[in-house]
Amino acid sequence: MQAQVTPARRRNEREASLLDICEQLVKLASKAGASDSEAYAERTRESSVKVRDGNVEELQQATSKGVGLRVFTAGRLGFAYGTDFSKDGLRGLAESAVSLAKGAAKDQFNELPRGRQLGRGPEGEYDPAIEDIDPAWKLRAAHAAERAAAQVDARVRKFDATGAGDFLARSAIASSRGASGESRASYAYLYCSPVAEADGQLQTASWADTRRRLSELQAPDEVGRIAARRAARMLGARKVKTQKAAIIFEPQQAGGFLAGLSGAVNGDLVHKKSSFLAKLLGKRIASQQVTLVDDATLAGGLGTRPFDGEGVVSQRTVVIDRGVLESFLYDTYTARKAGARSTGNAVRGWSSLPHIGTSNFVLDRGGVSAEEIVRGTKRGLLVTAMLGSGANVVTGEYSRGANGLWIEDGQIAHAVQEVTVSGSLLDLLQAIDAVGNDLDLRSSTASPTLRIAEAVISGS
Amino acid sequence: MPKAVQKPAAVRAPLLPLPLIEKLLSAAMSRGAEFGEVYVERATTTAVSLDEGKVRSAQVGAVTGVGVRAIRGAQVGYAYSDDLDEAALLRTAQTAALIAEGNRAPGPVSLSRTPLPTYYQVKQPLSGIDVARKIELVREANAAARAHDRRIKQVMAGYADQTREILVANTLGHLAEDRQDLCRLGVSCVAFGKGGERRTGFYGGGGRVDFRFFEDFSPAQVGREAARQAIATLGAIPAPAGPQTVVLAPGWSGILLHEAVGHGLEADFIRKGTSLFAGKLGEKVASELVTVIDDGTVAGGRGSLNVDDEGNPGERKVLIEKGVLKGYLYDHLNAKLTGQRSTGSGRRQSFRHAPMPRMTNTYLAPGDQTPEEILRGVPKGLYCRQFGGGQVDISNGNFVFEISEAYLIEEGEITRPVKGAMLIGVGPEALKNVSAVGSDVSLDPGLGTCGKDGQTVPVGVGLPTVRIDNVTVGGTGA
Repeated sequence: MQAQVTPARRRNEREASLLDICEQLVKLASKAGASDSEAYAERTRESSVKVRDGNVEELQQATSKGVGLRVFTAGRLGFAYGTDFSKDGLRGLAESAVSLAKGAAKDQFNELPRGRQLGRGPEGEYDPAIEDIDPAWKLRAAHAAERAAAQVDARVRKFDATGAGDFLARSAIASSRGASGESRASYAYLYCSPVAEADGQLQTASWADTRRRLSELQAPDEVGRIAARRAARMLGARKVKTQKAAIIFEPQQAGGFLAGLSGAVNGDLVHKKSSFLAKLLGKRIASQQVTLVDDATLAGGLGTRPFDGEGVVSQRTVVIDRGVLESFLYDTYTARKAGARSTGNAVRGWSSLPHIGTSNFVLDRGGVSAEEIVRGTKRGLLVTAMLGSGANVVTGEYSRGANGLWIEDGQIAHAVQEVTVSGSLLDLLQAIDAVGNDLDLRSSTASPTLRIAEAVISGS
Repeated sequence: MPKAVQKPAAVRAPLLPLPLIEKLLSAAMSRGAEFGEVYVERATTTAVSLDEGKVRSAQVGAVTGVGVRAIRGAQVGYAYSDDLDEAALLRTAQTAALIAEGNRAPGPVSLSRTPLPTYYQVKQPLSGIDVARKIELVREANAAARAHDRRIKQVMAGYADQTREILVANTLGHLAEDRQDLCRLGVSCVAFGKGGERRTGFYGGGGRVDFRFFEDFSPAQVGREAARQAIATLGAIPAPAGPQTVVLAPGWSGILLHEAVGHGLEADFIRKGTSLFAGKLGEKVASELVTVIDDGTVAGGRGSLNVDDEGNPGERKVLIEKGVLKGYLYDHLNAKLTGQRSTGSGRRQSFRHAPMPRMTNTYLAPGDQTPEEILRGVPKGLYCRQFGGGQVDISNGNFVFEISEAYLIEEGEITRPVKGAMLIGVGPEALKNVSAVGSDVSLDPGLGTCGKDGQTVPVGVGLPTVRIDNVTVGGTGA
């Protein structure tokens, strides 16, 4: 079929700018009785295609907007959000936020960031080429990925989905303490999820690439081929015996491991002594090969932004330096409570209050290739997919379902499924004995290949 | 399960004027689509949270929008807008229409209201309840959790509700409207033990219920139960790793069914042949003791639906009967493409999402053994009392679910608490290993949220006390 998508309506020039909307709301909040207020607004455009068996399966396109208003009245916090940008709509938001604040407790740490903490720009990670993507390009790319996947292996004939899409966002923030900023962001993505089938067993795998710049997006046929190979190599997967062995996390799974760990450096959990790392600042918590940063300024990073969800200028924070825990992550409220400084880690959408989260949470690359790590492993599991949430950062326990490839004497022996990988998070961090050189920023939480010398694998 | 009587939908002003909806339907069909649908949603959400003994925030949000879908064969065009003026909505419908490529002048659509059952009767919309009463819930829950034991050092309590009004109209002439209220109170606690040990507890509940629900399901009881779990597991030993017999306590353990079989029976995976349950209708896929039901008609249930997000009434469906696979969960599209009938399973997170087949309340029919009998029959095993989340891989059937409170079973008795346990298995194998089913069926208290393909919807799950043999337990102990 011919591509029939038309580009979404360009931003209507008559529409009030997002920053205007935010500034109006701040004024209305003050009129309604707020002692301080902050408004955050977004407009987004998303567009996606899905194909299957050579046919278009779904076309989706929409624009969307919303604004959230945070107010303090005498140290009490209220929050309201909505999609109605009319004068009456905004006034209603201001009034309900102020009236809601009356029910919350007075809290001396409720304050907005101000002065030199605030960031105004640069503009953000924005690629005009993504705004101008030819709609037919996405269909061609998705078809190409699917075609390439179907040619890899005779056992790969079914597809869950293959697709491509793009996302554009503008956001703005204004506050009664001088925050005033606008930024833009964009990304494009491509994915393929084939299913391999043999001897009554089905195995799905998927491969995706997401980039801030269209020109950096992986070639469609490469995405398809990688996905198909990943599905096919899982055929014949079986349990292994319960044992202790080495665990190698592929980059995506290593990233997942970091994501699980990120809650442990959340300043709020730390302050409440509800993180297993709460008392370990300045201590050696991981192998010396581990250096971990949260860096909102990283060029091309999917978590890169000029300022955080409350307007605080973006920064690079070293969290673990060669195994030593150097810093936790804070937003303004928690930093005040804990006697620390905001690290610019407030994250939010327009429908949520700012809360602590990571930007680009990245483990530094090491010096060896993933192949060398596998070759140097006597016996272990190369983890290629995981199930469940895994890390409990309060108790410090880790246990997660895993699929992957069994390694004997540096060689891949067979596929593995239906096992779990378990251990204490501190033990696992200390036991990291190899860090790959294959770091790739296709996700905001990213890591190269990691090997853990030993963990418990539960199977038969 | 109690059933409510049928009654005609109340006549009130629709969310969008009917002539405009008819225009949008025509526009969605303007390029030769075979089916067009307009979905209008107005959702008001209220949330309050308490942390470190203080009511941290109170918030409210209101979002209204329209989603338009056009279908031609297996091809779907979807577009949405939160801008409700006629011109913007017509552009939205025309964007959805682009999935088809023709220039057919559509016939006029005339809509008639579908009478709906009422499986939830929330008299006063939850959005209209004074926020001060909602704040009172989290305060009481916090006080009760802290009073339970002085080792409870952290308590977070949250209450959230949503009043969601929907209207679905399609080119078959159906028009359905529903108000779907939903609320949930949740409390999590951290107990601090000796030597820096921390244990957590979580409990809560709600549903499509009147605010009066919390008079019986009291916040104090919720707070105490969360605290009890955290205290009970202090001093836990590492969970033994490897295959063993497990006994699951009733209720939220139903997440086992949700993951091990439920998702694999959703008709999109079946049609594409990517689920391991595809093509197995009439085959034995579980132990004879296993009868699985997905039931959108449970009174006040968190997953209950008078009408799904495609305008079809909620239903009770037997998916597995005495171990034999009986049916799948169909939405409109997958039913149409495979010559089946929708089972009222078409759901979406919001107007920003196209519907797909989903579960509602999924539970296992009760057996005839008492929970005590089941436990007594286990010489050595693991008793799982409270559960975290779960996940499944549809194709190979691998599922996991996390056990937040578990104990060793020794000679038929519950003994020491264990920590860090999780269960892993392959759906049909785990269900074939079900060797005892209790008479104590119970739905979870109203906690579950299910995620699929980036969309979340509220669901219920239920399981009586169940014994499963030879399940792999992930852990670190011997």
